[in-house]
Amino acid sequence: MYRKLAAVSAGLMLVALLAGAMPGAVLGASAPAGASTDTSRITVAAWQAALIAIGYYLANSPWLFGVAYFTLYRPLVAGFFVGLILGDPAQGTLIGAAINVPYLGFISAGGNLPVDPALPGWAGTTIALASGLGPSSIISIAVLLGLLGTLLFYGRMAIDSVFAHWADARAEKADISGVALMNLVPSQILLFVISWVPVYLLALNGPAYVNDALNNLPGWVTNGLVIAGGILPAIGIALTMRFIFRGSVVPYFFVGFILFTFTHGSMSLVVVAAIGLALAYLHLSFTGANAPKAAAAPGPSSEAVPAAASPSSTAEPAVRLTRGDLLRSWALWTFFSQANYNYERLQGTGFAHAMTPIIRRLYHTEDEIRAALKRHLVFFNTEPNFGNIIHGTVIAMEEQRANGAAIDDDAINSVKSGLMGPLAGIGDTLSQSTITPILLALGIGIAGGTASGGTIPTIGAGATGNPLGPIVYAVLVSIVIVGIGYTAWMQGYSRGRAFVTDLLRSGTIDRVLVGAGVLGNLVLGALAAKYITVYLAPTITIAGAQLNIQASVIDPIFPGALPLGLVLLTWWLLRRRVNPLALLAVYLLFAIVAAYPFFGPDHTSSTDPAAQYQVCTSSLLHPYYPCGAPPAPTVAPTAAPSAAATPQP
Amino acid sequence: MSLRLVRIDDRLIHGQVVAGWLRALGAQRIVIVDDATARDEFLREVLTLAAPQGVPVEVHGVADGAARLITLAGTPEPIIVLARMPRTLLALRHAGVPIEVVDLGGMGAGPGRRRLHKTISASPDELRELRELEQMGTRVEIQIVADDRPIPFRSLDQSN
Repeated sequence: MYRKLAAVSAGLMLVALLAGAMPGAVLGASAPAGASTDTSRITVAAWQAALIAIGYYLANSPWLFGVAYFTLYRPLVAGFFVGLILGDPAQGTLIGAAINVPYLGFISAGGNLPVDPALPGWAGTTIALASGLGPSSIISIAVLLGLLGTLLFYGRMAIDSVFAHWADARAEKADISGVALMNLVPSQILLFVISWVPVYLLALNGPAYVNDALNNLPGWVTNGLVIAGGILPAIGIALTMRFIFRGSVVPYFFVGFILFTFTHGSMSLVVVAAIGLALAYLHLSFTGANAPKAAAAPGPSSEAVPAAASPSSTAEPAVRLTRGDLLRSWALWTFFSQANYNYERLQGTGFAHAMTPIIRRLYHTEDEIRAALKRHLVFFNTEPNFGNIIHGTVIAMEEQRANGAAIDDDAINSVKSGLMGPLAGIGDTLSQSTITPILLALGIGIAGGTASGGTIPTIGAGATGNPLGPIVYAVLVSIVIVGIGYTAWMQGYSRGRAFVTDLLRSGTIDRVLVGAGVLGNLVLGALAAKYITVYLAPTITIAGAQLNIQASVIDPIFPGALPLGLVLLTWWLLRRRVNPLALLAVYLLFAIVAAYPFFGPDHTSSTDPAAQYQVCTSSLLHPYYPCGAPPAPTVAPTAAPSAAATPQP
Repeated sequence: MSLRLVRIDDRLIHGQVVAGWLRALGAQRIVIVDDATARDEFLREVLTLAAPQGVPVEVHGVADGAARLITLAGTPEPIIVLARMPRTLLALRHAGVPIEVVDLGGMGAGPGRRRLHKTISASPDELRELRELEQMGTRVEIQIVADDRPIPFRSLDQSN
């Protein structure tokens, strides 16, 4: 099994090498100018490719106080840094934000990674910036990169299991530092090699390769990729809806969508969020969601349970942990909990690594140290922030045990194995499926800028990105996540199991989730209006005038009806357990097919406006709105502001 | 058939179950069957409180659990059943609980266990119990999250 996965990862590296080494000329030599953009190409220097590859490594690494997964790992933040490295942070932010939308509902739990958002973020933004592709056309390419990233992750999960056994060997020798090193060093060397090399090659050679490939595609396929860029965000938004679009907060999604659509996209997402906060307060006040959850738990109070974790109850302790020990242990966990994440133990070696300052202080004979190290090297997995209640509790139990209390291995193991699941359930719900997507939605909304014209902006149409988006997001999410982790750790230590039951009974978490649901749905609705674009191409002839169906019939009644319909359909399909990856493939294919000129000749490569208008009428969907100026000026000005035409495929 | 998911998972309720399966299946009740957990007052309360609002959680020992599940299987309410190990489900099956499919969702590595697939490991005893379940007409599949394609246990049992 290990060998198979290792072989897959090795094969992959080879493919990456070949793809990188392959000269762009293989496809590009005889290419006509085609429909691809060549305007703002940036050449990626070797040092820039190296830095970008380091960025991708850092996104997967434990070095950034454990928040890399919430920050550098997300395309929004990655895009900003790639832009910074390549000298255009605003454009990088815009592209990163667009790439991030399909990954908005991304969640990884229990060693399962459905897709990798980080590779599309780092390599995708580089390719887009360096080849002059618009944010819309890069989304489809980025999605393919996400699948490659998943293979890197699984290769690493398999190989890291070996290092867990190396840690076992150190534990057998009662070597505390050895266990810590085995959690950190081999896994990071492996990670650096398998993440840096492919991204360096992709960054250096990917842009020319992609550009040449696109130059050789027929114009309608290139159009199809742009159309896909407007459709694929529906999947990310619908995946997020699966978490928060439920119960009494559902209407706020529609409020957000309509607010954004009817202000023609000129409403800033910060304003939407401010309205959301006010509504969240009102919602909680008026729905009685403030009631504590005690009714749900008729069991006896946890105070009746012997308080395993209250260090003050032990009289005259012989060894006492200092605040420094607690902080060191917390910091080790916050940094390195997933450094050696592997199939066999998941966070097992990370747990043992975090316990090293505690073991050093409490235990002094070789037998005690060996037993303690082995006790904490077993399978462990929880949400590494909220779940810190477990570590606090376990540390308090270890302290009592070292002072002679009758706490055996079973007592400690049952706290770890009993609580790691439930607390991961709550923790993942809080951090991964509520806080992160909502703050990301806000950050992406800010990053995408606001519309200057009178229409809903298309993401490719001359917009500029706002680097404040990724910065605001990264700062907010880091504060919230680290804050939760610290509080859980310290409360777990001082109050132990009573803290778990008191917190859960108080209903605080449910209130936070409902309030976040109000804010989240409002922002998500606005984001759906901003990023999902569907433009119908066909026209009808009424009283001799050729009218675009969308501009003349649908939009005057309910602008945005098509994007809203698409996102609701996607949400419904996901609820019917359609696989998101299958949906991604189907939508991508559909977009390309819908761009084919079924109803007339292919004019996609033409520069003549009249011919370009024919393009609109000949396919099912079109990337631009209202798809070129019609030859006869009969369209009502209120229905379709003709100034918004940006016919530049 | 309202036992929508009968899952072996040594972490019982956690992210994959709450954020994944529960939402995907629209289940309205979680029934946990595990003797050790049923005896532990504290864990029982934590599990009850850990599920999302509006999803009641019941924790039973094997004997009570079998009777309760037979009753629930006859109602239209969609429920998720969680157990920590194959032995529990085998006991339920022997007691007459109608289980069509068992989802092997999480059994972490430990002493005596060999890895089957990703995060799933099993001891020789556990493999035997799973085979017995299959012989009784219950399909055993590995499907860690709802979006995964289920893998028949039989195909992995032979290759390892």
